[in-house]
Amino acid sequence: MVNVIWPIIWGITGLFITYTGFYQLKIKRLIENTPTSKIRSIAMGLVEIFGEVIPFNKEIIKSPFTNTNCVFYSYTIEEYRSSGKNRKWILIKKDTSNNKFYLKDETGQVLIDPNKAHIDLNKTYQTESEKDTSENIKQFLKEKNISLENFLGVNKRLKFTEYILKQKDKLYILGTAADNPLVEEESSVENSNDIMIQRGDFNSVYYISSKHETEVIKKYKREAIILLCIGIILTFISLFFFSR
Amino acid sequence: MASVLLTIFLILLTILIIYIIIIFNSLISLKNNISKSWSNIDVLLKQRSEEIPNLVETVKGYMKHEKSLLLEITKERTSLINSSSLSEKAKVDNAISSSLKTIFAVSEKYPKLRANENFLKLQNRITGLENELSDRREFYNDSVTIYNTRIQSFPDLFIAKVFNFNAKELFRVLEEERKVVKTNI
Repeated sequence: MVNVIWPIIWGITGLFITYTGFYQLKIKRLIENTPTSKIRSIAMGLVEIFGEVIPFNKEIIKSPFTNTNCVFYSYTIEEYRSSGKNRKWILIKKDTSNNKFYLKDETGQVLIDPNKAHIDLNKTYQTESEKDTSENIKQFLKEKNISLENFLGVNKRLKFTEYILKQKDKLYILGTAADNPLVEEESSVENSNDIMIQRGDFNSVYYISSKHETEVIKKYKREAIILLCIGIILTFISLFFFSR
Repeated sequence: MASVLLTIFLILLTILIIYIIIIFNSLISLKNNISKSWSNIDVLLKQRSEEIPNLVETVKGYMKHEKSLLLEITKERTSLINSSSLSEKAKVDNAISSSLKTIFAVSEKYPKLRANENFLKLQNRITGLENELSDRREFYNDSVTIYNTRIQSFPDLFIAKVFNFNAKELFRVLEEERKVVKTNI
């Protein structure tokens, strides 16, 4: 019975990884197939836009670890855990500021609601608690009720990573253009003022990246190939052992 | 051993079928993108058409020597409403854009008309629509180019041939028409 369990687990994992690979391939093709819209003439539905970040209502916020002025931030806190031979970083906290901002191109600007988006920004800061725990980080951990010590009073090994978006940073967005709830319908002169980019009800894809479109496509292609190879190999191995 | 080989064959076949489905769906979504981007142009063409009678009504009192020009744009508007094919609409759209540019250029000769607030508002609105139209024509052509490239490239080429996906026509606009209508407001 034990001999059968592992091949079954490998098989299910293999099929799941293969499915994820196909999904990545689908997203890659979707990005390739969607032409970039000019913000001035954006139409409702799935759109791809490229431009620079402008704060919403001149709202500038402070990033959690470096206290840098920014328009949007996201961060992760990981803890290094070891048990026997297994040593790995475990994600213990991940969050984003979720502040709205504008994206501007040469034709106009449109409001972006980053809530529920898949956000892929370049890492702007990373440190470990062993190397440096600044006052900002200590204050932040206190606010979030995260202790630097474990229950035995021994210092934990934590890794802090920060991703920020500053004014005028370039962004690539694939999301859904829908009514802007902050503006009364058809009250504005510019078409793009009536619109807000958000996660759509029917289009599940909402991707915000500081990378250029070609890099995003390459990333999805690489991930799809790796996942498909691993998934197919795992499924075959499982079948091989299962048949024995 | 035979059963293992058969299973491997079936898995590979399933993967191939899924891949074909992804390509097929992707071609369908490209085709729908083209229809959608054409509808988005059509919406703006209609909005611009609705503004033409207002424009003619506003300027006719001032531009008494330009009756033929006003008659021409009214005829073109009617042709646009009656045309159904893409090439017909593209042709009439070019003509309307050209006539509108002429009207706005000729309006410079009529200072009283230039002082009319209603005219300035209409000029602003039509200029905005023209700019949006030019972006959407570009978007339409991008959608068509992506689709045409896909159906001519490997491996989509085979699926396109089997399921009869044919090349689409670009929205051709005269080079002169690509220029943005300038306002002097």
